[in-house]
Amino acid sequence: MDIVELLNYSIAFFSLFSVCVFLLLYIKYWREYGKKLPEPKILPKVSIIIPAYNESKYISKCLESVLSIDYPSDLLQILVIDDGSTDDTYKVAKKFESKTLLVMRKENGGKGAALNFGIKKASGELIATMDADSYPSKNVLWELIPHFTDPEVMAVTPAVKIRESNSWLKEFQRVEYLMILFSRKLLSFIDSVPVTPGPFSIFRSTVFEKVGGFAEDNLVEDQEIALRIQSHHFKIRSSLTADVYTEPPETIGDLLRQRVRWQRGGIRNYWQYRFMIKTDYGDFGMYCIPMNFLALGAFFLLAGLMFYSIFSAPYYTKYIWLDTLSMGITLFTLIGTFVIVVSTFFLYLAVTSFANEKVKLRYIIPFILFYWYLMLGYNFMFLFKELKKEGYSW
Amino acid sequence: MARNIETSIYLGAFILSVAVFAIGIYVGHILDQNNLISISHELSNISNRMASLQILLLSDSDSSSFCPVYLTESENLDQEIEQIGYKLSFLEDEKQIFDDNLKRAYFTLEAESYFLAKKTTSLCNESDILLINFYSNKNCGQICKDQGVAVIQARDELAAEGIVVKLFSFDGELDSPIAEAFESEYHVLSYPTLVINEKTYSGFQSAEQIKEIIRASAGS
Repeated sequence: MDIVELLNYSIAFFSLFSVCVFLLLYIKYWREYGKKLPEPKILPKVSIIIPAYNESKYISKCLESVLSIDYPSDLLQILVIDDGSTDDTYKVAKKFESKTLLVMRKENGGKGAALNFGIKKASGELIATMDADSYPSKNVLWELIPHFTDPEVMAVTPAVKIRESNSWLKEFQRVEYLMILFSRKLLSFIDSVPVTPGPFSIFRSTVFEKVGGFAEDNLVEDQEIALRIQSHHFKIRSSLTADVYTEPPETIGDLLRQRVRWQRGGIRNYWQYRFMIKTDYGDFGMYCIPMNFLALGAFFLLAGLMFYSIFSAPYYTKYIWLDTLSMGITLFTLIGTFVIVVSTFFLYLAVTSFANEKVKLRYIIPFILFYWYLMLGYNFMFLFKELKKEGYSW
Repeated sequence: MARNIETSIYLGAFILSVAVFAIGIYVGHILDQNNLISISHELSNISNRMASLQILLLSDSDSSSFCPVYLTESENLDQEIEQIGYKLSFLEDEKQIFDDNLKRAYFTLEAESYFLAKKTTSLCNESDILLINFYSNKNCGQICKDQGVAVIQARDELAAEGIVVKLFSFDGELDSPIAEAFESEYHVLSYPTLVINEKTYSGFQSAEQIKEIIRASAGS
């Protein structure tokens, strides 16, 4: 066995192992997976903070959906923070102002700063943060609040989804979001939720006093806060029933830009929290954080090996008839195929575990291929920008 | 505060992954065996067809009226033999599976095919060029591989000019009596060596050099 084969096998083993971990988590926790939590006896006051920067296109629809949330209005405070928009976001939002909904304006300082500004003004025991291009469902708070009965729980993430559409790019992202949601739920059983998503997340207000507010110079502040909360040994839970719909990027270019930002910020944050790679931090420290670095390494290695295999193919392969190609079924292709089959099964399990989400099979089957090319795109852009030491920009 | 680590999950995932690898190794082994069996079936099938063709040729040695039959069938056989050659190389290069008996049987077919080509070419007045490539898997390495590429490249480029080149190849160091007989016939002393229309050329010949030799020999 040569070094190339050994590397190929190691990556196959690594991928298989990580999918198996998820499948076993599902088997172990499937009883708790869809368990309905009892309704809270005392309803807490909830503040919803919506930072907005040049969101005039979406803000009306967003505020309409927030105002339709089913929750006693005297226990609800909605704060729209206009982060120095240059369009008429402020004007549009101002039309919705009422006793429950306040619109505030501040100088442009980025999302993290706008959130912190809102947190200072918020009076709720629970603070929800949401993006101005997100639309929560009516029952979102009823589904999220019960998780706070556990006093160690400091944040709960909702089911961030994308509405069904005819655009293949959006449908692929929809499949991805459902898969992420499913995996995040499984990770929450081992106290390893990697992010409190920006579109909507809810926090115990005291957590900001204990761990501090949002990072103001971070590319993915919603991930950094999740890492920080867990570095203080607090828990984050994940709901599969609190639906929040968000607007995904509509073009490949926008999608790539978004992913490069997530990847650059994400890897930096994990690097910053690498001190958590200790048994004291349980599965999050010993499995999730190392896996992020390993996955990135494995990805570049696999991409390299694939390029290598294209250039190192023996000269006669182009003369080989189709029946000879069947001989190409090597141990690696066999195991590789098995990894793809198991991953597709996991994906199918993830997507079909949401009773009210119907995804066409034609978007599920080629998803892995689509995802591979997406990763190839954003990871190489990530590498390029990191090597160039390019600054962060929004 | 010490947090929980799900050792049983990781151990389970590890055992499952190892099990999948073990199944993969087992199935891969069975597939490889099947590949060898299928190559050996193909060899005996080609050998039978070759024998029929030879008998036909023997019983009809003077007339050229069967030429279309000989030429079509021998061309088909050549293509199939070439594919077997690639399959054997593929198994050697990519999977490190060496089966000397299969290779000897393959060289026997190559030899038969060479004689058949010689006979049909003269009987049917064809101007096909016969090229034998002597190589060695043991002692030649990359230069022999490069020679293989150059030979195929020359053949393909000459085909565009309307010159038909038939390729035959022998591993001279495989203890194959047939290959050894060919080597002594054409005085092969080192590898790679090419024999083009019965003339011996020792050492590496580039695609351009091969084309020059063949053009000259086709023109004469």
